[in-house]
Parts: sequence; C-alpha cells; structure tokens
Amino acid sequence: MKIKTQVLALLLLGLASGAAMADKLDDIKKAGVLRVAAFDGNPPFGFVDEKTHKIIGLDVDYAQEVAKRLGVKLEIVPTNPANRIPLLTANKVDLVFANFTITPERAKVIDFSVPYFASGQQFLARKGTLKSPEQIASLRVGADKGTTMEATLREKYPNATVVLYDDTPFALTALRNGNVQAITQDGSKLVAILGNLPDKDKYEIPGFSISEELEGVGVPKGETRLVAYLNDTLKDLEKNGTASKIYDRWFGPDTKAPLPRLFKIGDAHIRTQ
Amino acid sequence: MSAELLAPKYLVWMAHGLLMTAWIALIAIACSTLAGFALALARDAQAGVWRGLARIYTLVFRNTPLLIQLFFWYFAAPNLLPETAMLWLNTPHQLQLAGFTLSWPSFEFLAGAAGLSLYATAFVAEDIRSGIRGVPRGQYEAAAASGLTRWQVQRYVILPQALRHVVSPLFGQYMNIVKNSSLTMGIGLAELSYTSRQVEAASFLTFQAFGVATLGYIGLIAVLDVLARQLQQRVALPARN
Repeated sequence: MKIKTQVLALLLLGLASGAAMADKLDDIKKAGVLRVAAFDGNPPFGFVDEKTHKIIGLDVDYAQEVAKRLGVKLEIVPTNPANRIPLLTANKVDLVFANFTITPERAKVIDFSVPYFASGQQFLARKGTLKSPEQIASLRVGADKGTTMEATLREKYPNATVVLYDDTPFALTALRNGNVQAITQDGSKLVAILGNLPDKDKYEIPGFSISEELEGVGVPKGETRLVAYLNDTLKDLEKNGTASKIYDRWFGPDTKAPLPRLFKIGDAHIRTQ
Repeated sequence: MSAELLAPKYLVWMAHGLLMTAWIALIAIACSTLAGFALALARDAQAGVWRGLARIYTLVFRNTPLLIQLFFWYFAAPNLLPETAMLWLNTPHQLQLAGFTLSWPSFEFLAGAAGLSLYATAFVAEDIRSGIRGVPRGQYEAAAASGLTRWQVQRYVILPQALRHVVSPLFGQYMNIVKNSSLTMGIGLAELSYTSRQVEAASFLTFQAFGVATLGYIGLIAVLDVLARQLQQRVALPARN
C-alpha cells in the first residue's frame, strides 16, 4: 500500500511539474521548427557548402534525422565553440549539434544526449617537429577558445605554452605562419583540415592521442523528455544503419580523409584497434 | 546568477591578464605619442611629400577597423617575411640590459603592440594637430618677427600652448588605447579580456569573470583620469586678475 501511494505521489508530482513548466519537446512540435546550433567553419561536422552556401556536415545530418523524426522543419543557427552554451541557456536554440564534448563541468549547466560520435585529442604539426607526447611540454601549441582541448593540454602538460584563437582556421594560419609549432583538435577534425591543405606534404598528424572525447547533443537543462527522445532516436539510427551511413558520407573510404569508425552509438568507449 | 566567488587560481589568471593589458597599453601610449607628434608635424610640414605621406598614413589607419589591422599584422604580415625571420621572431631570446634580463616577448605581443601603436598614432596625431591649429596665427607671426627660427617657434611658442589644449583629448585617446587593447585577444594575446573569457570557459562563472574584467578596465582608466587631472593643473595658465 505504501509503495502505491508513493508511486501515486510521484505521478502527481510529475504531472504537476509537467503542467507548471512548458516542455521543450512539445514546444518544438508546436512551433514546427527545430532550431539547432551547428558549426559553420568546422568541416566535416558543420561548414558552409561552397555550392549551396548552406551549412552542411555530419552534425547537420544528425540534426536533420532528428527533425525528420519529429516531423518539423530544421533551422540551423551558425555557432562557434565558445557560443554553444550561451545559445542554449539563452534559449536561442533548442539543441546544439556542434561536435560537443560531454564533460562533467558542462553537464552542470546543460544536459547531454548519449554520445553519437567520439574522438581523441590529437595534434597537427610540421613534419618532424612532434614525435612523442613528451615533446608537447616544450612547444607553443595553438588551440580554440572555449574548448576542452585547452584544459586537457594544461592539465597534462603544464609547461606547454598554449595560445588560444577564436576559431580553428585562425589556429591553422598561426601554425602555417610559424607562430605556433602545433595545433590541437579532435583527430577527426585534423584529418579533414590536413586533407584540405594546399601544402599538406609539409604537415602530419602524429600517431597518438591524449584524450578520449565523447560527443553528444547539447540540450537545455532539465528537459528530460527531450533527452530521452533524442537518446531513443540516436540508438534507432545506429540500429537501422543510418548512423553508419552518415559516418561514411564524411569519413568513409571514398572521402578525402578516410578514418575508420571506432565508436558506435551506445558504446562506452572508443574501440581500440 | 550564482553567488560563488572566483577561485584564487582564476584571480591569478585575471591578474596576469591585467598586467599584460597595462603593459601593452603603456607601450602603445608611449609609441603613439612620439610617433603622433612626428605625424602631426609632418602633416603641417613645408615639404609637400611629407604632407602627402602623412595624409595617406592617417587615411589608411583611421579608416580600417583595428581588429582587421591586428589580424593583418599577426596573420598576414608574417607571409611577407622569410621563414627564417619568423623562426627567429618566435624563438625566445634574452636581452641583457644594465644587469636586467629582458625576456623576448611572444609574437602575439609584438604584433599586438605594433598594431595598437600604429592605429593609435593616427588618432593621437590628429589631436595634437588640432591643438597646434588652436594656437592663434598671431603667435606665429609675433614669434617669427622676434627672430626665432621655424623650429624655435614650434618648440618655445607654439607647442607649449598647443599642449594645454591637447591634454584632455590626448588622455581620451590613451583611454581608448586601454580599451582597444582588448581586441588583441583575437590574435591570442593573453591580456585581460582573453583571461576573462578563459576563466568564464573554465568556471562557467560568467558574471564574476566579466565583472572582474570590467573592474580591471575601470581601474586602469581611473589611473589615467587622475594623471590627466594632475597634468592639466600643472600646465594650466595662472588665473589673470
């Protein structure tokens, strides 16, 4: 009997809170538009297509699948690493699909879906400058402002000089000018950057990674129904093969920068080869 | 808004940023004042070439956004330099000066200081020029009639009077230099705005991080304000009875 009343109380509480505050999932369906923040300068996750001038990429493909399933229109809002959380907390967007690494610090301010992509923090350097992780301590390394890259780098190599830039293209220019000796980013992003460099023979991605980054969808704090909906959707996309199709479109064998798929939605860690 | 205060670690970051801002602003103020005087004199020089060059300088540096100029000096200008020069500029050197060891500044600092100084020079020069123009024409004629050379006229008659008019607008420019230095965070210089954004990204204490930065800028500007008042009192004309 006691358990029953508790369940009843919980149910009532749930109903009351549901009625008291508007639910984002319902709001999105009602509005008929899903507003998603995505990168506009970070291929292949989110970048402006030369031909159509629209933002496309792996993140956008995932956002498109979610919008399709919700039966609403997708509206992409361009963002950069530092603006992702403010956009969510200020309710300027409903979700963030922007190569968003899940961290406990960030999870205090916003919620995350299950990871749909994973990678490790790697380096891009002039050929021959960086052979082993120990060398990082003596280098000037460029990173993007507002990313976890900087924190990880500082934590593991406190003696390294970290120079922060507004965006990856700036960091890349600094590397090519010789202002920094290496830049750091997700390995997957570096592969794409290297693939696009006109003088790519001069650069390399040393074969080590200093972290494991699990990337999820950023959701405003407390939207539990929306998170559950996203998690179900993402797991379904893995099951029906869409996830692997999306991955192959950007990292598959036919792309400019092929990268084996080491993480599947629902895994706890990157698969080690 | 959370009521949490910034951890000491973060305050140390901000203090470093504040020092960097003060340092780069000081350099830009000194350089732009010297160069500004030269540019102001060049704009009223007798030789047309100097006037023309000074005009072009003012046009270029006043009519483009500072951020673009900073990007130019940091990201674009290095392409014009040979690779070995860039390598040298980016390697730490040590300078022994009167027993002090000066460490070589980062390229971010060099580009930032150069960019800020060159930009501010154009504005400082205009203010100095307006001060010089404010001295009545009769003063030139009277000074020249008493047999002073052109340079002596400037040095002993015109500039002392011009400076009185110029103190207030000049310090306004110095305040602008302090505030404009925040744009150097775009080229990776770890000054006050850069560290405030860094603290914000690490702690999520947005209000506190930008609040402390705001107080830092207000403090620096207040110092300039006090200096301006003191200087103005010192150069003020004695009241006539």
